[in-house]
Amino acid sequence: MKTYVIVRQTPDTEAKIKVNGDGRSINSESIKWIVNPYDEFAIEEAIRIKENHGGEVILITMGPARNLAALRTGLAMGADSAIHIKDESFASADPYAIAKVIAQEIKNPGDYDLILTGKKMIDEETGQVGIHVAEDLGIPQGAVVTKLDISDDRKSVRVQKEIEGGQVIVDLPLPALLTCERGLNEPRYASLPGIMKAKKKPVKVIETGDIDFSSIGLSAEQLGEGGSRYAVTKLEVPEIKRRLHMIEGMEVSDAVKELVTALREEAKVI
Amino acid sequence: MGNETWVVADLTIDGKVRKVTLEAISEARKKLQGTLCGVLLGSGVSALAPELGRYGAEKVYVVDSEILGDYSSEGYSTALSELIKKHSPDIVLAGNTSQGQDYFPRTAARVGAGLALDAIDLGLSDSGRLTVKRYMYSGKSIATVEFLDNSPAMATVRPNAFKPEEDPKTPEVLSESVDIPADCIWTKVVEVKRKESTRPELTEADRIVSGGRGMASSENFPLIFELADTIGAAAGASRAAVDAGFVPYEMQVGQTGKVVSPSIYIAIGISGSVQHFAGMGSSKVIVAINKDPDAPIFSKCDYGIVGDLFKVVPVLTKEFKNLLAQG
Repeated sequence: MKTYVIVRQTPDTEAKIKVNGDGRSINSESIKWIVNPYDEFAIEEAIRIKENHGGEVILITMGPARNLAALRTGLAMGADSAIHIKDESFASADPYAIAKVIAQEIKNPGDYDLILTGKKMIDEETGQVGIHVAEDLGIPQGAVVTKLDISDDRKSVRVQKEIEGGQVIVDLPLPALLTCERGLNEPRYASLPGIMKAKKKPVKVIETGDIDFSSIGLSAEQLGEGGSRYAVTKLEVPEIKRRLHMIEGMEVSDAVKELVTALREEAKVI
Repeated sequence: MGNETWVVADLTIDGKVRKVTLEAISEARKKLQGTLCGVLLGSGVSALAPELGRYGAEKVYVVDSEILGDYSSEGYSTALSELIKKHSPDIVLAGNTSQGQDYFPRTAARVGAGLALDAIDLGLSDSGRLTVKRYMYSGKSIATVEFLDNSPAMATVRPNAFKPEEDPKTPEVLSESVDIPADCIWTKVVEVKRKESTRPELTEADRIVSGGRGMASSENFPLIFELADTIGAAAGASRAAVDAGFVPYEMQVGQTGKVVSPSIYIAIGISGSVQHFAGMGSSKVIVAINKDPDAPIFSKCDYGIVGDLFKVVPVLTKEFKNLLAQG
């Protein structure tokens, strides 16, 4: 089983978000970057598949130099090698362009069985890149997967997906792309020997100049903000005014009465 | 041709139109321009067209095909992308449901359209292009996204973000035949498991009662369920309660759980982490019950009761029962 895992780096979930002076980007100076939590499930699952079925795990990311840290984390967990498509301008590219470049990198050797990635990135709150890659490669996709089993002949995968009001179990032929949901597994921590080994594992770096744009039907400009199909024109930190009505220091029955009355008469939600 | 706004219907397991579809039609009617059209994809779905008309759809495109009977991303994205290529709508919307998040990106990739997920506001720029607002950075910021062209512009909308309002029309129903070869369907559905719960779906619920670490054990969660059932609410949980094994993951609300926006969210024994707020921060009214007066949730709620949840919740359930019995 040769499995690719598409990983991205996101700000730590605790990070405080400050909007830059331009009003449409965030100040990333003091942000601690982590592996996108949903991508960690994908890395863990790929390693488990390798442990059970043999094969290799290749990480692939697209983004600025700092993304190397995310690759090293995945390599320390147990992935075998990584591909870093490196360019600052990619940060503003939309999923359409990002996916085309990633798909091209996977397509070239072509001998893969499975592609895994997280169901979404927690910063952009979107999970489109993986699915775009599946479309570009012309392979099946399974989104928001909570369980997966590779068939004995390794020709198909049975996946469980969460849907509104239940779950659905489907079989997909391999190669396929799956996006991973929490509940799929519990990602391991990298061990110290794992971290040491990761430093020696191969990371292939691809710069803008290495990309054969004509064969993927894009121009270099399309990989930046200029090629995006939409633009963020404004970024605000939402301020929802809360009533902060505290009910304390009274008998339970009185406190509850006050709450229920307020919900009906003031907030009008019951 | 062109100058149409489409809303593709999301259907439940039982083949009914989801509320989010009616919300999207209502909001599109108020905020966007062009002929408002519904799109029905599935098997035996033609009968649903009048319901889309009741909320304002002037036209309904129907692709009724046995091959779409079982949902598959290939089937739906093939049907929708063929329709888009044929009719060139300006804007194509759907609910941000498990299906919408699955076949909309695939369709966008195929037709080369831009797609914004989980919109909480829709509008048009001065030049008539679609603009949406959507959360970024785990609910910590709201981005205004402007499409550079409507060819088409695609977006999914967050359930409960808009109000469904009727505006009865008798829609023109257009039966579309799309060639979906059987061999382009890769997905084989093995089983569909329904949840037994009679409670509303978390992401669509107008009222939610959630329990956290303070619930102390799974044996205490019936307190949450009884309160939820009293007011017709969905039952949720914080990550701490899920990690402690009190309840299954599907109940988790938060950054790595479900994103919800009910009218009222009652947080019981939940401290109120940044990650929890990422999932429920857009609730209209937040009620917190916690014994710790310093819990962060009290600084971001509308109503807070400082007290022992095991004493407060049963009394609250009883009080709601009395109130609702009076009508």
